[in-house]
Amino acid sequence: MKPLQVLVFTLFMSPAAAVLSAGVRADEVFLKGGAKFSGRIESQTETMITIDIGDGVVGVPVSRVEKVVKGRSPLDEYDERAKALQAQDTDGWRALGRWASHSGLSAQAREAWQKVLMLLPDDAEARGALGYVQQDGRWMTEEESYKARGYVKEGGEWMTRAEAQMVQAGAAADQARQDAERRANQAEADKILAEQRADKAEERARQAEEVDPWTTMSPWYGGWGYGVVGWPSTATVTTRQGTRPINTVNPR
Amino acid sequence: MRAAALVCAAALALAVPAGVLAAADAGPAKSAPAAAALTVEQIVEKHVAARGGLKKIRAIQTLRESGRMNEGPNREALVTRELKRPAHSRFEITLQGVTGVFVSDGTQGWKLNPFDGDFEPKPLPEEAIREAAEQSDIEGPLVDWKTKGHALELLGREPVTGRDAYKIKVTLKSGGVRTEYLDAKTYLRTRSDSTRTVKGRPVQVTATFGDYRKTAGVAFPRVVEIAASGRPQTMRVIVDKVEVNPPLAADRFAMAAAGAP
Repeated sequence: MKPLQVLVFTLFMSPAAAVLSAGVRADEVFLKGGAKFSGRIESQTETMITIDIGDGVVGVPVSRVEKVVKGRSPLDEYDERAKALQAQDTDGWRALGRWASHSGLSAQAREAWQKVLMLLPDDAEARGALGYVQQDGRWMTEEESYKARGYVKEGGEWMTRAEAQMVQAGAAADQARQDAERRANQAEADKILAEQRADKAEERARQAEEVDPWTTMSPWYGGWGYGVVGWPSTATVTTRQGTRPINTVNPR
Repeated sequence: MRAAALVCAAALALAVPAGVLAAADAGPAKSAPAAAALTVEQIVEKHVAARGGLKKIRAIQTLRESGRMNEGPNREALVTRELKRPAHSRFEITLQGVTGVFVSDGTQGWKLNPFDGDFEPKPLPEEAIREAAEQSDIEGPLVDWKTKGHALELLGREPVTGRDAYKIKVTLKSGGVRTEYLDAKTYLRTRSDSTRTVKGRPVQVTATFGDYRKTAGVAFPRVVEIAASGRPQTMRVIVDKVEVNPPLAADRFAMAAAGAP
C-alpha cells in the first residue's frame, strides 16, 4: 500500500468557489525534485499542505515539500480580471478565455468561454475552445465527432478501429506472457513448497528423536513461519493461496 | 483532468531536437539542384548551413525552450525544455498550476510526476531513458552524424505539406530509426517520423515543424505538431521563447533523492 497515493492528490472539482475566492494571495509549493503546485494554500498541518489549484484541491505531504513561496499567480490575475468584467462583455470574456488558455489555466479558460457561449451560442471560437466541432451543419462535442468519424475509444484514447485492434492484440499478447510467467512462478513455488515440506518432515522426525520440539522451536519455522521477514519487497507474486510479497516462500 | 494523457504527449514533445528549421515558413525558397546531383552527405551539409552553420550550432552549450502545448480544448499546458551538453535533458509540464518534471542525464533518468499521484522522484523506465538520450542531442543527429556513429540513407524525394522534400533514413548509433524530411529547396527539416513508446506500446509518431525564427544565429522551429498513427488528436507545441546558452546548473539534471526527508 502506498500511503501517499491514499492520502494525497485528492483532486476534486470546486470550480466556481475556487475561482471566486477573493483576497487570498497565491502560493507556490515546491516539492523536493522540482515539481510544483501553484495556487492558494487552504490549510497547513504538520503533515499536509492543502492547496487550491483553481480546479480542485490537492493535498501535498509536508515531508516532500522543499519550500513554500508566497506570491501572485496567474490564478489571481484571472480572478481580478473576471471580477472586473460585466456579464454581457463578450469581448472581455473572449480575451480572458484566450489569456487563461495561454496561461495553462484550462478550468478558467473553460469558464470564460462558457460565458461567451451563453451570449453567442454559435460563436465558432468559443465552440472550438470548448471542444465542439461543426459537422454537417451542427455543433457536436469532441467525442461525438470522433464517433461520427468512426473512431473508437481504447484505453482512454480515441483511435481508429484498426489501431484499437492492434492495441487489443498487444494487450492479449502481454496477458498471455504474464499468464505464462505466473504459471512458471507457480510451478517454482510448488516445487519449493514441496521441498520445504519434505525438509520440515525430516526436521520434525529428527527433533522428535532428540528433544521436545515445543521448547526448542526455531523462529525459523515457528511463529515466524515461512513468511519470515528479511526480503521486504513491494513486488508481489500471485499463487493459489493469494497474493503475497515476492521471495517470501523460500527464505534463504 | 486528463493530465496523464498530456504527460504522455509531453514525452513525445521531447522528440523535437534543437535547432531544426521548417521549410514551409523559412522564407523564400532557393532553387533546388537536381536530386540526383546530391549525395546524402551534401544534402545534410546544406541542411546544417541552412540552420545557421556548424560554428553557431556548436557554440550552443545549453538551451532552454519555453512555450505552450495543447492537445485540444481543456488540454492546455505550459512546457519548458532544457538541454545541456553532452546529453542532459529536463522537461517540465505545468497544467492547471501543477508542474511535473522529467529529467535524464543520458544514462539515468527520473521523473517527479504529480499527475500520477507521485510526490517522490521515480526512475524513468529504461526505454524512456534511451529515448531521452536520443532526443537530448542538442545539435540534432544530423550534425557530425558520422562521428556520432549514425548511418544515413537517402530514400528519395517525397512531398511534405505540398513541398518536395528529401527523405532520409537515420539509423542512430543506439539502434533507433527515424525518417527525416528535409525541404528540397531550403534544406530545412519539415517532418520527422519515428516509433515511440507510448503507454508501453510502440506507436508511429509524426512531427512536423514550422514558423522558423533565429536565435543566436541558429534557426529554431516555433511550431511543432505531433500526431500519432490512428489517433485523431494532434498535439501542438508553440515555442514562445528560445534561450541559447542560459546558465543551467548541473544539479538541475542530477537524480533527485527519492524518499529523502
